[in-house]
Amino acid sequence: MDITVCIKQVPSTSEVEIDQETGNLKRDGVDAKINPYDLFAIEGAVQIKEQTGATINVVTMGPNQAADILHEAFTLGADHGYLITDRKCAGADVLATAKALSEGIKKIGKADLIICGKQTTDGDTAQVGAEIAELLDIPHANNILAIKEIKKESLVVDVDMPTMIQTIEIKLPCLISVDKDLNQPRLPSYKVKKATKNKEITAYGVCDFEDSNEMHYGMNGSATQVIRIFPPTSNSNTESWEGTSDELATKIADKIVELKIL
Amino acid sequence: MTTATMQYEAIDQNDVNYLLSIVGEEGLFVGENNIHDDYSGDELAGIERYPEVLVYPKNTQEISKILKYANENRIPVTSRGQGTGLVGGSVALYGGIMLSTEKMNNILELDEENLTVTVEPGVLLMDLTAFVESHDLFYPPDPGEKSASIGGNVSTNAGGMRAVKYGVTRDFVRGIEFVMPDGTVMNFGGKIVKNSSGYSLKDFVVGSEGTLGVISKLILKLLPLPKHKLSLLVPFKDLSSAIKTVPEIIKSKSIPTAIEFMQGKVILASEEFLGKKFPDNSSDAYLLLQFDGNSKEEIEMNYEKVADICLECGALDVLISDTDERHDSLWTARGAFLEAIKASTTQMDECDVVVPRNKVADFIIFTDQCQKECDIRISSFGHAGDGNLHVYLLRDEMDEETWNKKAAAVFERMYQKAFEMGGAVSGEHGIGFAKLPYLEEEFGEKGMELFRRIKLAFDPNEIMNPGKLGSNYRVSLY
Amino acid sequence: MAKIEIVQKSEISAQEGAAIQEICPFGAIEYIDGKLDISAGCKMCKICTKEKPEYFTYVEDEEREEIDKSLWNGVVVYVEHTYGKIHPVTFELLGKARELAEEINHEVICLFAGYNIADKGGELIQFGADRVYIYDEKELEDYRVEPYAAVFEDFIKHQKPSVVLVGGTTVGRSLAPRVAARFRTGLTADCTSLSIDENTDLAQIRPAFGGNIMAHIKTRDKRPQFATVRYKIFSAMEKDERRAGTIEICSISKELLKSGITVLESKEKPKAKYIEDAEVLVVAGKGIQKEEDLAIIYELADQLGAMVASTRPLIEAGWTDPKVQIGLSGRTVKPKLIITCGVSGSVQFIAGMKNSEQIIAINTDPNAPIFNIANYSVVGDIYEVIPKLLEKLKLEKREKIEVFV
Repeated sequence: MDITVCIKQVPSTSEVEIDQETGNLKRDGVDAKINPYDLFAIEGAVQIKEQTGATINVVTMGPNQAADILHEAFTLGADHGYLITDRKCAGADVLATAKALSEGIKKIGKADLIICGKQTTDGDTAQVGAEIAELLDIPHANNILAIKEIKKESLVVDVDMPTMIQTIEIKLPCLISVDKDLNQPRLPSYKVKKATKNKEITAYGVCDFEDSNEMHYGMNGSATQVIRIFPPTSNSNTESWEGTSDELATKIADKIVELKIL
Repeated sequence: MTTATMQYEAIDQNDVNYLLSIVGEEGLFVGENNIHDDYSGDELAGIERYPEVLVYPKNTQEISKILKYANENRIPVTSRGQGTGLVGGSVALYGGIMLSTEKMNNILELDEENLTVTVEPGVLLMDLTAFVESHDLFYPPDPGEKSASIGGNVSTNAGGMRAVKYGVTRDFVRGIEFVMPDGTVMNFGGKIVKNSSGYSLKDFVVGSEGTLGVISKLILKLLPLPKHKLSLLVPFKDLSSAIKTVPEIIKSKSIPTAIEFMQGKVILASEEFLGKKFPDNSSDAYLLLQFDGNSKEEIEMNYEKVADICLECGALDVLISDTDERHDSLWTARGAFLEAIKASTTQMDECDVVVPRNKVADFIIFTDQCQKECDIRISSFGHAGDGNLHVYLLRDEMDEETWNKKAAAVFERMYQKAFEMGGAVSGEHGIGFAKLPYLEEEFGEKGMELFRRIKLAFDPNEIMNPGKLGSNYRVSLY
Repeated sequence: MAKIEIVQKSEISAQEGAAIQEICPFGAIEYIDGKLDISAGCKMCKICTKEKPEYFTYVEDEEREEIDKSLWNGVVVYVEHTYGKIHPVTFELLGKARELAEEINHEVICLFAGYNIADKGGELIQFGADRVYIYDEKELEDYRVEPYAAVFEDFIKHQKPSVVLVGGTTVGRSLAPRVAARFRTGLTADCTSLSIDENTDLAQIRPAFGGNIMAHIKTRDKRPQFATVRYKIFSAMEKDERRAGTIEICSISKELLKSGITVLESKEKPKAKYIEDAEVLVVAGKGIQKEEDLAIIYELADQLGAMVASTRPLIEAGWTDPKVQIGLSGRTVKPKLIITCGVSGSVQFIAGMKNSEQIIAINTDPNAPIFNIANYSVVGDIYEVIPKLLEKLKLEKREKIEVFV
């Protein structure tokens, strides 16, 4: 079985701020890490590898430094790393990102199973996985809570649905995006790190893809535009209520209704 | 139920009126009915004794007036921070006045030229560290209880995990404003780095557990904040091969900030308690190492050297934790050990013994023997890197009499063993009221006499925290 | 094509190169051997063009492909449901869709796909829909992404809507991107605010970086414009039984409803086991005088679908389980709502819950430290307030049920 895991390099802290004067994004340093949700995807793949002897390919799109997270994926049990790095991919929204990744996956070759993390911690959109599946024309399932059985031509998984949990059988090839309940990701192994230090990473650019029309990638291939970014308004209102217990109970009940808890 | 004669005056209406004139109505609580029961004890289980009055002074002058009055009228005074002590140090054994420093919780000055911070004693450790870190500065002592007050930390010379590299609270106290029992306000030390002017009175106060007077202000030393940190989780096939690696790490001169050891069974208990998996639970024993530094490269150089040593010493692998999520998965479990052990039994008692670092392995093997020979469950984890061990005796289904007898006998054996190895009664929790008998064993008659004479030099009327260090009064509450 | 161009006349010193690299929050500026470059990490945020216009200029598209937006009409709400039972997020979206549609004189249209649902469209009209399109097929009995996406595609091809709103549930967040990608159009996830321009461009506001920044996003040159919105963000309209609208049953070729997915089993979601996972917490503190009195706390939690947590003294008394202790030595929680009952708020307790989204604290002592961090400080006796609160909540629930039935 060939598994491809899509990962992303994200800032190591999500504590970013907006500069009130310039409206620009402020970030201290450029420390980066693997998107935490992707660790569940890698761990899921490694557990399948331990059971079935699968091969794990890891693919990411980003600048050259993103090779770091591919090396880190090796220390977690991945076999091959692919880096899509091209200025033409700059400014990609969900659609253009899914496009580049799906083309990269095609270029890598055989993928029986594609695993994505549920979402990233910077973009938070949680939709790249489903769009990749669409562009590859394979079935997908989101929010996988457990991988129950790995068959030759299908997977049996538990899916988190709005009001219940469903066990489904999904035909391979397919894409799943996994939730944090799936597993506890292992830590990088120093032993493997030493052994894979000089392992090669394959780099792709848009010109390597089957569809090499640059209008389909990066900002040009994006359907959405960010008009502006701004800091959230804090709603840290505080009120003190006194009165008869009847009045107090009414106020609490109204607040509970307002917060849509009922 | 006291065994020594009480030589103190009970508090009367005149005393209350006087105290009221100093701290005002909002700063005074009188009598058991009005005093919150938190103030009847600390974290030492099974002890309850209310002060007669509870006062919250707001500044040094108020402390001074209260002490002067108490000294003249022979009223005992017990000072208290957040009451998170583990040995009964802030329990008002003789009633009297409890002086809480909770309202004195201001950070007064950050001096970036001298790298010091000046604080009132009631500032919480967690608030202090958050404050200095927001200025890219670092207060290294790291006792486990982050909601403790800094005054309490200094009074017990609290330690914590980073002692391996940085030392303990004492090493970061530069100056103390101190109110003597007669109300005199003294300044010991200051912002100065060097000081060889006579006895170090400041160091008498650090660890004195409120028996000499009251700390009213502290000047603490700071370091630049290291920008990066990294942890290593190192699995071993058994505890003894894990702990035997520690001296090799220390010898390597690449000093981690912390070296903790943990046993597989404690990890399983914490997994069950938290309902969260630990990143690895396949081994019986682990070392958990922490590194800090100013660049990734610096940390990498240090940790790789140590990782290689671990592998040479038989580690099964070395697992790297370099992100917030990974740190959380390790240190949340580490932080839950105590509660997890607590939840696994009916009652527990602890010793916080310290031995030289190269004796840790022997001592752990010894506790393992005790466990078998005395038929009592013992759990331990601790600071392998500084020799400070937290050993927990677990009562499980024992009846009270057997438990009391057995626990006392096992403690006795363990402290004896520690003394043989050149160790001490307490690494970081202090002596308080609970560990006094063992302190006597450690220091002998001469030593205890010296303690007493120091106590009397500061506090001739013995009003400060009677029944504790340097006091001849003994109370039996059990 | 739109891009950032580098204008560099002479070699740049290493020092200056490093300083220029610093200005990019995404680390996308590269400096090698005296030369600047931009890597794939670039998010086109254009900060570099503002900070260092001497080196970076933004070049707009020479010609943007214009689409005729007047050909795309209607605000669509996708009807989220479980075997015919409509998810309330649908009614909330209908409320918002009504607002948007009236702004641009469009209709509100529902897409309702499932099995044995043909008679369930009326309610959607009462909550704001003008037209309801129903696909009722055996193949749509279970939610499976391919047949549902096929129906969605068929619907869009026929209706050509301008805006499509989908609930940000696990199903919505699986289906919406699938369909958006099929039309190569934009989708903005988890919008917290939506408004519409005269030219029918949807102004979408959503949080990013874990809520630390907000982004204003548009889909300028594509239609339809997809947006997902989570449950409990918008408000439903009052139900209007006299509202008129049309219901149409649509058909689709069976050939298009094939799926590689088989649903084997559906089971109930297990209740949250640990207090960290609960959305709503009711905390019992020392204000509770007897163990039996915990009953009102459990009843309140029951009413709110909440979990009960407690402070240390109650655990030490053996009344509650150590696993539900909030605090530094217990667990850290940040639920949507926490109601503390008779909790004074020790330092340790507050450290464990102060990041909760909304804090309602009930305590008799107006000086209790918990009030320093509460959003709503209720000075009162839990023994009087909570029973009254329970009555009111029950009444409220009854009214709600009446509205929906």
